[in-house]
Amino acid sequence: MTRERMSEQELDATLADLGERLAYPRPTRLADAVTARLREPRAGRWWDALRSPRYAFAPVFATLAVFALVIVLAMPGARAAASDFLHAWGIDIFRVPQVATPAVSPSPRSGLGALTTLADARVRAGFPVRVPNDPRLGTPDEVYRDGSDASGARQRISLVYGQRAGIPISHEPGVSVLVVEFRGAVDENLTGGKGVGPDTKIESLSVNGGRGMWLEGAPHLFFYRDASGNIQTETLRLAGNTLIWEQDGVTFRLEAQVSREDALRIAGSFR
Amino acid sequence: MGGVKGLRTDSVEGRPTEDAVLVERSRNGDQDAYGELVTRYQAIAARTAYVITGTAADAEDVAQDAFVKAYYALDRFRSGAPFRPWLLRIVANEAINRRKAAGRRPTVGLSVVEDRASGDTALSPEASALAHERREVVLDALRKMREEDRLVIAYRYFFDLSEVEMADALGVARGTVKSRLSRAIARLRAAMEGDQLHDA
Repeated sequence: MTRERMSEQELDATLADLGERLAYPRPTRLADAVTARLREPRAGRWWDALRSPRYAFAPVFATLAVFALVIVLAMPGARAAASDFLHAWGIDIFRVPQVATPAVSPSPRSGLGALTTLADARVRAGFPVRVPNDPRLGTPDEVYRDGSDASGARQRISLVYGQRAGIPISHEPGVSVLVVEFRGAVDENLTGGKGVGPDTKIESLSVNGGRGMWLEGAPHLFFYRDASGNIQTETLRLAGNTLIWEQDGVTFRLEAQVSREDALRIAGSFR
Repeated sequence: MGGVKGLRTDSVEGRPTEDAVLVERSRNGDQDAYGELVTRYQAIAARTAYVITGTAADAEDVAQDAFVKAYYALDRFRSGAPFRPWLLRIVANEAINRRKAAGRRPTVGLSVVEDRASGDTALSPEASALAHERREVVLDALRKMREEDRLVIAYRYFFDLSEVEMADALGVARGTVKSRLSRAIARLRAAMEGDQLHDA
């Protein structure tokens, strides 16, 4: 093979020629792969996600979470009391000595996602949406869906009930009952946190054949954390009595100022 | 640099505004908008990665990782700046890191698709054989070059980036693009003619 020196023109032409012939990969569906990954909890560098506008309130909740954790570490009894049976299905309970009135107090509707209809929620939730069949509640006044369409793994459906006879209104004007449903058992990475004050009663019980928990007493606050540490901002709810239970891989949360028996009765009516 | 074709300094028409809108929407969490940016630039991202890694599979992985990283870095993206060179910079970094992590071998496995139907048809068999030989010589030299040099050459000759885009994509001052390119070409020639001047 002769290796005479190429002229500049020849080299230019050869490079241009070569550039067209390289065996480049030809990705076609990269966008799907990328957006699917964006929907996954981000391993490791969770603080990057906090920069997103979606997590504008994250520093507040992160701070609360850190406080709660520190206190839990100081009170191992509190942790042992409630967290064991819940941890298995993705809820961690932190007992804190005092729950300050949150500086950020969004309306219960904020952060619940997009307003939708029950029919639409049933179609798009990716899990069987159940609705209480209790005459006192009737049909929900508002239905919200939060989450992406494609995966379904992180869908969250919220049912908002306005004023209802026999059920006290919550401290949130116009809302008496809030129901939140999400697929908890399927997404094993999902962990939730709930900070409860010393006056809050925590009781583990069985609801509709599944494990459950009843929280009663002083207002408590919710914060939610996925596996990568992203703290959800749509966390503060009615802060009333709360019943949480798991049923067929779906986690249900019923918030209302009702007695435990009442809550269990409503839970039993979910269809 | 007499032999180097005049470098374009304009950016691709129509794109910047539209990209800026998609970037802004992506920043606000609109993943569909980001998906559109991915679709728009997946080819050049994968090609850039391929020039560095030399294997198509690695290049696709790199491109995907780079797009994910770029998404989370969008807040550091300067509003109004062109998206493509910014993205390519992330792709190139990712690809070079991948090469290093894999225990960089001295040469990469860049290859060509030789059975192209068009192009050579106008050439005589002799000219075609000569062109083929030249490609082999140049490709062989490219395989041995540093990633950074290969990248400069690819941006200019393979992807036809403008000088301004090259500066942004390489993260260097605009005035130094030409000298970088001429040094890369000098090293390419050196590699073609033997390795004596490879590290000069």
